[in-house]
Amino acid sequence: MLSKSSARLFFIGGTTFFSLTFLALTWDTVSQVPERSNAHEMNESVTRGHDIWNDNNCMGCHTILGEGAYYAPELTKVVERRGEPWIRVFLKDPQAMFPGRRKMVQYNFTEDQITDLIEFFKWIQNIDANGFPPEPDLAPKVQNAMVSDPSVAGATSGTAHVMPEMMKTICISCHAVGGKGGKVGPALDDVAQRYSRTELDRWLADPQGVKPGTGMPDLKLSDEVRRELVEYLLNLNGGGNQ
Amino acid sequence: MKYQSQKVAYLFFATSLLLLCLQLVYGFILGFAHMGFDVLHDWIPFNTARATHTNLLVVWLLCGFMGSAYWVIPDESERELVSVKWAVIQWASFVVVGVIALAGFHMNWWEGRKFLEIPRPLDYFVVINVLLFLGLIGATAWKGKRFTTTGITLIIGLVSAALLYLPGMIHFDNQVFDSYFRWWVVHLWVEGVWELIMGALLSYLLIKLTGVDREVIEKWLYVIVGITFLSGILGTGHHYYYIGAPEYWLMIGGIFSALEPLAFLGMAIFAMAMSRKGGRKHPNRIALRWTLGCAVLSFVGAGFLGMAHTLPQVNLWTHGTLVTAMHGHLAFWGAYAMIVFAMIMYVMPQMTGRNLYNGWLPEWAFLLSNIGMIAMTGAFAVAGIAQVYLERKVGMDFLDVQESIEVHFLGLVLAAVLFTAGILMFVWNFVQFGIPQNDVLTSDDEEGVYAEATA
Ligand code: HEM
Ligand code: HEM
Ligand SMILES: [Fe+2]
Repeated sequence: MLSKSSARLFFIGGTTFFSLTFLALTWDTVSQVPERSNAHEMNESVTRGHDIWNDNNCMGCHTILGEGAYYAPELTKVVERRGEPWIRVFLKDPQAMFPGRRKMVQYNFTEDQITDLIEFFKWIQNIDANGFPPEPDLAPKVQNAMVSDPSVAGATSGTAHVMPEMMKTICISCHAVGGKGGKVGPALDDVAQRYSRTELDRWLADPQGVKPGTGMPDLKLSDEVRRELVEYLLNLNGGGNQ
Repeated sequence: MKYQSQKVAYLFFATSLLLLCLQLVYGFILGFAHMGFDVLHDWIPFNTARATHTNLLVVWLLCGFMGSAYWVIPDESERELVSVKWAVIQWASFVVVGVIALAGFHMNWWEGRKFLEIPRPLDYFVVINVLLFLGLIGATAWKGKRFTTTGITLIIGLVSAALLYLPGMIHFDNQVFDSYFRWWVVHLWVEGVWELIMGALLSYLLIKLTGVDREVIEKWLYVIVGITFLSGILGTGHHYYYIGAPEYWLMIGGIFSALEPLAFLGMAIFAMAMSRKGGRKHPNRIALRWTLGCAVLSFVGAGFLGMAHTLPQVNLWTHGTLVTAMHGHLAFWGAYAMIVFAMIMYVMPQMTGRNLYNGWLPEWAFLLSNIGMIAMTGAFAVAGIAQVYLERKVGMDFLDVQESIEVHFLGLVLAAVLFTAGILMFVWNFVQFGIPQNDVLTSDDEEGVYAEATA
């Protein structure tokens, strides 16, 4: 039978061997990480963004590279998923974007701080994380299993106008067009039948002024972007003649 | 109790249970927030509640370990503690640092580094405090009459836990390095040196409670902690899959972390076998039950549920979801909370001279807390698996998924009520024991002098 002294030898020998192996692998990892994480792209803005991330314990609700808490979305690829303009608007007033839903702290970040955070996220998303976060592999199967509705499919492709950038990145997160998009606000396919050009324009310029207490945030759109959006909306579904 | 100075353990145990109760309050805040009732958002946002919940956990467990060490080390080295006064000072300063850290979390004073949220300036105080603790324990052992494997394993565990705290204090701008070295603390604690502490306390309790020969028990202790390090050190790799570390960690982390459950299986078999083998029937059955419960549930929570998501193919999907929280709860409860409870239950009758281990209260405390925790694990599991499929596999929006799993958090909170009822009974039992008495010097030692008391 195993004696106590050989059991002790097993403990000491094994521990020493595996500790040394671990240190050697750490050495190698430390030499590879700068390249895998594009450390040369970590400018001051990225570092400041990282500090903001740390100082406010954002990881206490979110995950990044899969580490953190499970109360708020995974943010490794957030720039890719939402786009910069969306993040900008969202961070200025997080609760306005998702009224009545799970709340994020209102940090009152300055423009510069938001820029730093976005720079940090852009750096994070290019880290070689061995394929994390993965693409949803069941998504195509789920879509194939659903009977496609030609009237819905036609709605967007039939539209003469291309979707403006603002629409793609911001509005869509709350409103649906052609069956795609958020459910916070109403679908926008038939707004042209319900509102005139002036009404739409006024609404986008000042939602609270038109309907006090509405969940729709004031997106502070420039005149040009607003015109573009109104034009697009009026032409959805062939305009008011469906 | 053989030595008067062992009584200082009481302060640590009482503090430990108090902090546990506070941890549960914050657990409910988290559970309700997940259910959609984040009513405290303006005062205690989720990240504050969460940092408080997990740090209270770590602090009360460490407090329990320290109390256990102040009890076990005099016993094992057969002499009084070198200084009770300094032990009390160490206790008081530990509490002060802990309270400052927790208050800081409520004022946005922290670092966003999961489990290591305590800001660096306070880390230095933690270090001083722990050095004082190790000094007291070390000097007692050094001057003691005998060196036992159990005592030495406990000390090695405590010293290495202190050393491994240091890499967590280094500042890195690069998130990948920050994360890489954060795991030296978090992983190498719970899947490394804390297992040494657990193993040592387990053997101490088994020696006392079963009467099996010390040589036999300590031999197996070496084997088990040997397996712990054999698998656990390179097993750190299971946290390096997807954080930007090289790809070889998928292979190394996968293989070695898959061996980690063996150490926990070893502890379970070891504890069961020894309790069966032991001819002696110690009257404190409930302490034995916590001891065996610890060995078994640590295997289920850490070993089995850890294994469930440790392979890289699985972890790719479950990484950073509620599946992790499922495992975290049962692992911490089974391995570390239960060993502290076992120690408390073993120590209190001796310290106070009251044999309050019979009757319905300790029984129900054991049953309700364990049933409650297993049910909580089930609730997290259902929520976590649903999240993995809907969000990660199908690609549904995060908040939509969270809304659809809110109902499982109702389940979680109901289970947590059961669990909390069990904990409150345990605490009430503890209170009934009263404070340590001066005159109770019994010798509940290996020579089996104690009467076959059936109180
Ligand atoms: C008593 C021992 C253990 C405790 C207390 C424990 C606790 C935890 C905790 C709290 C986490 C979350 C960490 C974080 O995300 O920051 C975690 C993660 C993890 N644990 Fe354990 N654990 C234990 C043992 C094990 C074992 C033995 C295995 C493997 C067989 C394991 C596998 C994992 C894996 C794979 C993760 C990462 C999950 C993810 O990617 O999100 N654990 N553990
Ligand atoms: C009243 C009972 C409890 C409730 C309702 C509860 C609930 C929760 C919730 C909702 C989370 C946050 C998950 C997230 O980030 O979204 C959490 C985290 C955590 N809790 Fe508890 N908890 C309770 C008791 C405990 C106990 C007794 C322990 C330890 C034995 C514990 C250990 C942990 C750990 C380690 C984490 C971090 C998990 C991770 O990051 O993966 N909790 N708890
Ligand atoms: Fe681990």
